Amino acid sequence: MEFDYPRVLFKNRKPDRVATLEEYRESGGYEALQKFVGGRVSPKEVIRLVSESGLLGRGGAGFPAGMKWSSVPDSSPFPRYLVANADEMEPGTFKDRVLMHVDPHCIIEGMVLAAYSFSASKGFFFVRPSYESSAHILERELEIARKAGFLGHRILGTDFSFDIVVHRSGGRYICGEASALLNAIMGKRPNPVKPPPYPTEKGLWEKPTVVNNVETLANIPHILRNGPEWFKGLSATGHGAGTKLYAISGRVSRPGAVELPIGTRFSEIIDEHCGGMAPGARFKACLPGGASTRFMTGEHYDIPMDFEDLKKIGNRLGTAAIMVFDHNTCLLGATLNLMEFFARESCGWCTPCREGLPYMLELLRRIENGEGREEYIPNLRILCKQVWNSYCALAPGAAEPVISLLDFFEDEVRQHISEKGCPFHAKAGH
Amino acid sequence: MPRLVIDEREIEVPEGTKVIDAAEMLGIVIPRFCYHEALGSIGACRMCAVKFLQGPFKGVQMSCMIDARDGMVVSTTDEEAVQFRKRVIELLMKNHPLDCPVCDEGGQCLLQDETVSSGHGVRLFPGPKRTYRDQYLGPYIKHEMNRCIHCYRCSRFYQEFCGYRDLGPLQIGDRMYFGRFSDGALESPFSGNLVDICPTGVYTDKTARFKLRRWDLERAPSLCNQCSLGCATVANGHYRGVMRVEARFDSEVNGYFICDAGRFGFSYSNGGEGRRERPLGPKMAGAPASGPIALAGAREALENIAAKYGPEAIGAVGSDRNSLESQCMLALVCKTRGWLGPVFFSDPVVRRKTLAAVEALDGELAVSMREIAEADFVLVAGADPLNEAPMAALALRQAARKHAPVVVIDPRSIRLPFDFEHFPASPEEIEKYLGTLLRMAVEKDVAGLGKEGEEFFRATGFENFEPPAEMARLSELLGSSKRPVILCGTDVSVETTPAFAAECARLLRISGKQAGLFYLLPGAGSFGAALLSETAEKTFGSLIEDIENGVVRALVVAESDPFHFYPDRDRLERALSKLELLVAIDYFPSETVRRASIFYPASTIFETGSTYINQEGRVQFAQPVHRGGAPIRGGQHPPRVYSGLVPGGDHLPAWKVLWQIAGMAEEIAGGHGDISPQNFIPAALPAFDGLGAERGYPVDGPRLFAAKPGFRGKGGSAGGIGGERGEDPESFDLLMVEWMFGTSEFSAWSDSLDAALCAPYMSMNSRDAARAGLRDGDRVSVELDGGTFEIEVCVSDRTAGGVLVVPRHQALDWQKMKDFPVRVSAEKIRKI
Amino acid sequence: MLPDELKLKLREVIAGAESPREKAIDVMFEIQELQGWMSDEAMVEAAELLGMTPLELEELATFYDYIYRSPVGKYVIKVCDSTVCWLEGHQRVVDYLSGRLGIPLGGTSADGLFTLLPVCCIGYCDRAPAMVINKRVFGNLTPEKIDRVLGQLAEKADFSGSE
Ligand SMILES: Cc1cc2nc3c(=O)[nH]c(=O)nc-3n(C[C@H](O)[C@H](O)[C@H](O)COP(=O)(O)O)c2cc1C
Ligand code: SF4
Ligand code: FES
Repeated sequence: MEFDYPRVLFKNRKPDRVATLEEYRESGGYEALQKFVGGRVSPKEVIRLVSESGLLGRGGAGFPAGMKWSSVPDSSPFPRYLVANADEMEPGTFKDRVLMHVDPHCIIEGMVLAAYSFSASKGFFFVRPSYESSAHILERELEIARKAGFLGHRILGTDFSFDIVVHRSGGRYICGEASALLNAIMGKRPNPVKPPPYPTEKGLWEKPTVVNNVETLANIPHILRNGPEWFKGLSATGHGAGTKLYAISGRVSRPGAVELPIGTRFSEIIDEHCGGMAPGARFKACLPGGASTRFMTGEHYDIPMDFEDLKKIGNRLGTAAIMVFDHNTCLLGATLNLMEFFARESCGWCTPCREGLPYMLELLRRIENGEGREEYIPNLRILCKQVWNSYCALAPGAAEPVISLLDFFEDEVRQHISEKGCPFHAKAGH
Repeated sequence: MPRLVIDEREIEVPEGTKVIDAAEMLGIVIPRFCYHEALGSIGACRMCAVKFLQGPFKGVQMSCMIDARDGMVVSTTDEEAVQFRKRVIELLMKNHPLDCPVCDEGGQCLLQDETVSSGHGVRLFPGPKRTYRDQYLGPYIKHEMNRCIHCYRCSRFYQEFCGYRDLGPLQIGDRMYFGRFSDGALESPFSGNLVDICPTGVYTDKTARFKLRRWDLERAPSLCNQCSLGCATVANGHYRGVMRVEARFDSEVNGYFICDAGRFGFSYSNGGEGRRERPLGPKMAGAPASGPIALAGAREALENIAAKYGPEAIGAVGSDRNSLESQCMLALVCKTRGWLGPVFFSDPVVRRKTLAAVEALDGELAVSMREIAEADFVLVAGADPLNEAPMAALALRQAARKHAPVVVIDPRSIRLPFDFEHFPASPEEIEKYLGTLLRMAVEKDVAGLGKEGEEFFRATGFENFEPPAEMARLSELLGSSKRPVILCGTDVSVETTPAFAAECARLLRISGKQAGLFYLLPGAGSFGAALLSETAEKTFGSLIEDIENGVVRALVVAESDPFHFYPDRDRLERALSKLELLVAIDYFPSETVRRASIFYPASTIFETGSTYINQEGRVQFAQPVHRGGAPIRGGQHPPRVYSGLVPGGDHLPAWKVLWQIAGMAEEIAGGHGDISPQNFIPAALPAFDGLGAERGYPVDGPRLFAAKPGFRGKGGSAGGIGGERGEDPESFDLLMVEWMFGTSEFSAWSDSLDAALCAPYMSMNSRDAARAGLRDGDRVSVELDGGTFEIEVCVSDRTAGGVLVVPRHQALDWQKMKDFPVRVSAEKIRKI
Repeated sequence: MLPDELKLKLREVIAGAESPREKAIDVMFEIQELQGWMSDEAMVEAAELLGMTPLELEELATFYDYIYRSPVGKYVIKVCDSTVCWLEGHQRVVDYLSGRLGIPLGGTSADGLFTLLPVCCIGYCDRAPAMVINKRVFGNLTPEKIDRVLGQLAEKADFSGSE
């Protein structure tokens, strides 16, 4: 590639296979483990370094990783658990899958280090059904790590023991939500649970539990090996830290997952790393951080793709899954499609989401099908506001595309109503 | 204690109070669906939204999810909150069918109320409504899922609160469904509460379906008299029938709920078909008679007997289903007229156990069901809570949910809807287990127990008893508990156990714990009966002898049916036929009623004000609900066949009949006019005056104790009996026990309970069964002194060795034994 | 009735868990591997192994997407219908499969081999349009690729592993 950025998570990326333990070790893998766990460095020191690195959670909410670990009270009971969230069911998001297929050991090492920091003894990989291949890889590599003494009983001969199992999900978006995920692991219905208590105090089986995204965890060995300052220096902006896996899909020439300094400009991501828009396609809008972020228009084509910068324009980096739509895409259709997803995946716990999302879906569908009415637009706005006050973040996320559609493309929506049908329908094949 | 402002009014509330409850303390009832005080908050329905103006939370938030804190300023009327709530209603009504006209919940529907009060009227949603297939949930509960608003109350009540596992949330998103794995009767004997707890009409009372409208009902606070707990109910009368019974909140007794026996066991009051038809007209010599004639006839006949043989030739029989009014009148009649009695108990041992319990209970020890729920260790000794007093099992479950260990020492293979430790001890061994556990728990503190305590403590050291291994762990938990409760039964335990349990509880108190004691008694009127029979040593058993000896020539039987409880039916029949006069006063069409020379119909609890003292000494009053009597139903309105029956019937409260036939009008109330229980209850039970002096009659709520607080150090057998029963592997103790359905008189005469019955079976220990060559499911005949009965065998590891446990089931012809206790030798049990 | 070897295996799976319920999904997946779907009888037996009531297992079974409570074909073809696949022509894939198999979305072919279902985003947006067959994913779908895959499936009965 023409840009010479340091590659961290994708350092061992091979075009057609998973990096082996040896390859990972050659690139410095498990050195951090040797140094921190093998050398019995204080767990507090691990937390301090990670906190200092400014690593923000990569699962969508951007919560500081070090802070999460340190919120496990010292006095809290054992056993303690660590969960690597590899559910990744938000439409457009697939970076964790690529990561698991690229370099599983860097996630495993990250988990052991994270576990060490708050004395967890058991870890779970939470994997969705369509990622069976990832589950398969993980199970294979976990065994290899165990054999090498990096995992399991008395790691590296120390008195620290930690083992990881793969937990297969039955497949539902809500399972990715941290508290619902814990219910799912325990074999309960995966409804979310509002804190207090926080999972770091009472999680799995009422014991302290940390849930982290797999990308978050994969960063840990590198941070500990190279230091927080190095990590901060990776960022393309002054305020960010680390690299970021961006997953780009939709109407670009080369969709895929790329690792870039966090805060790389959107224009550079699309034009340089994805080969620009697909042939014949002009940029219309994108969802910059997964299905539950707001549409971003060409106005912000140059924006640095970092948590802070997107927050400034009222949007979110989310999972950094960028879905690109071109001038031929009916954004109402896209929103309708997203709403079908969210309404179908609502866990059914709370009223605004369970009833409100199908309500929005019905209105959007009618508009798309040419049965729309003017009053549907204000009604949709009210519904978006209503679902904002749902039990968990699923429904507010679901409202984001809708409300931004109305904010930026209300004319297009109105056109559907006045023309009694989709203006794009004739043009495009969908 | 946080102070906050809600709707411009300040209030201080206890730490941990939710804002929704704080508002309610101010009389502001914030709309809600998923929140229920007994179930706690889950924040699912989003109906309780209010606006937080100041304090740690800001904006529209759920008042059920947030604890009141200092400095909060909350508005329930803020426009934003009101609009939000209105939209929640709109969302819920999007799919709710508008079937209120044919919905039994109509008029008492929370969703209806909230919809109306929110002002929602026009459905803007253009799509179709969602529909579901309903399930068959058994004879009591009708399922109508289309009405569901997914508040989760049903499944949370069913699973979390009650511990049953066959109803729950299924599916996902807007296809969410609440139901069972497949069609079939709900397994929980508390399922009727679904009717009350569902905020709309998903679960309705099948027995009342399409019969009534809430606003047409005569409603009054009533009581359940099916067991000794005396749960609060609301009874609903209409067209001279009781239409349904609902739970009534009582913070100390039953909380929000009641059991299914209590909810559905009312139909005896309406009378059934055929043999269950309620006798509503008086009878003399089997022929209908008018009320005044029957009363005068009975009075005259009794006077004749008294003149001929002396008044003590008249025996007065009551029961544990008598109201306190009836019991006091019986006592008073016996006192003034010199009749023999009153006799409330059939078995002298049961009588003594009940008396011992009542004597032991004082204001310090007695705990309520609420306090059981808050206990941190519960010892159940010789009691089967689910079968003898179902709501006590729910109270225990609440304690267990908060991680209180529950230890059951009982010969039966006890079932409870939570995990517990069970020691299957024979009745004789119960004290040994209880005493040993206690001893191990407080051993360290023995020095501080005082002289009597030490003595008692020494006496509880059962020799030669090797405690089971788990006991060490349990005793440690008991030792570290702060609020332990001993729950002691009076049915299968031996005579000394109730007093022994009380001393154990006292000992725990001496050792510094807030220990409590909770008895289960045989029936709703047992406590009152014990208070009043303190001086009358007689039991029904001894009365039979008196009849046989010709000492007793006449019986007055008020709300009692010896044919239900007396163990030797042949002997009973012979004795009764020897009588010159049998006067029966009852509402059941019992065998005694059928044989009476003079019968007078009694009112049921629904038709007359009645006082009951529950097993913890709580005096409670059931208001009369309706006039009751001759029914108006299917095609009989107006009655088309001429009959002598007065509309509503001639029934009177039993005490009033007694008063009349004993000719007491002259004695009390100056010989004319009417009489009120206010006058005669204190005359029979002086302690009653102390309770209600300022309130007058009726008295509802306070507790009445016969005992004086303090340690006696002499309870029970204290090591005397433990394991004494001859180890004779060839014979068994026959334990006749209660079941929740099928053994009570109410269940015998309430056709509404038929559907809940299951066939009787005899449980026995697996080793015993193996020795006797019996297997689970075998049918056997059991030979008793007076004949045999046939029954299925249920083999269990958890039944104590050496006992046979048989329910006093109405489908079982068990009354063929001479007297209790009964031992059955192995060769008398034959496989068939 | 579940075969004894399977039960043995399931017991082993369950034994390794912190609490039996944790393995509810694995147990159901194993059973589906063998029988295709979770019949009522299978539910009852699986629940017993897990120390759950059938209702409690049903609470989970009906929640999840990949547990089938009605019969499905040997191969369950789920076509992703979420945003990126929608954008890249998932409807064409559905139409093509529908035509080839002679079944509508939601249908099962007469030979009991194929069931066609929609599925939400399977995380292969970079290879849209995509589908998942049993637990194996196929992306960048074209009619030719679909033909090839279906051909292979119809040929070999055994089908496991990943792409
Ligand atoms: C509906 C919903 C779905 C989610 N799905 C995922 C997911 O698939 N993967 C993930 O890592 N985080 C997901 N999250 C975020 C998690 O709740 C949680 O914040 C995250 O796993 C924490 O990891 P991090 O701190 O490393 O980012 C989801 C959140 C919501 C509300
Ligand atoms: S918003 Fe409510 S219904 Fe939707 S997924 Fe979250 S808890 Fe479930
Ligand atoms: S009552 Fe508060 S959310 Fe339901």
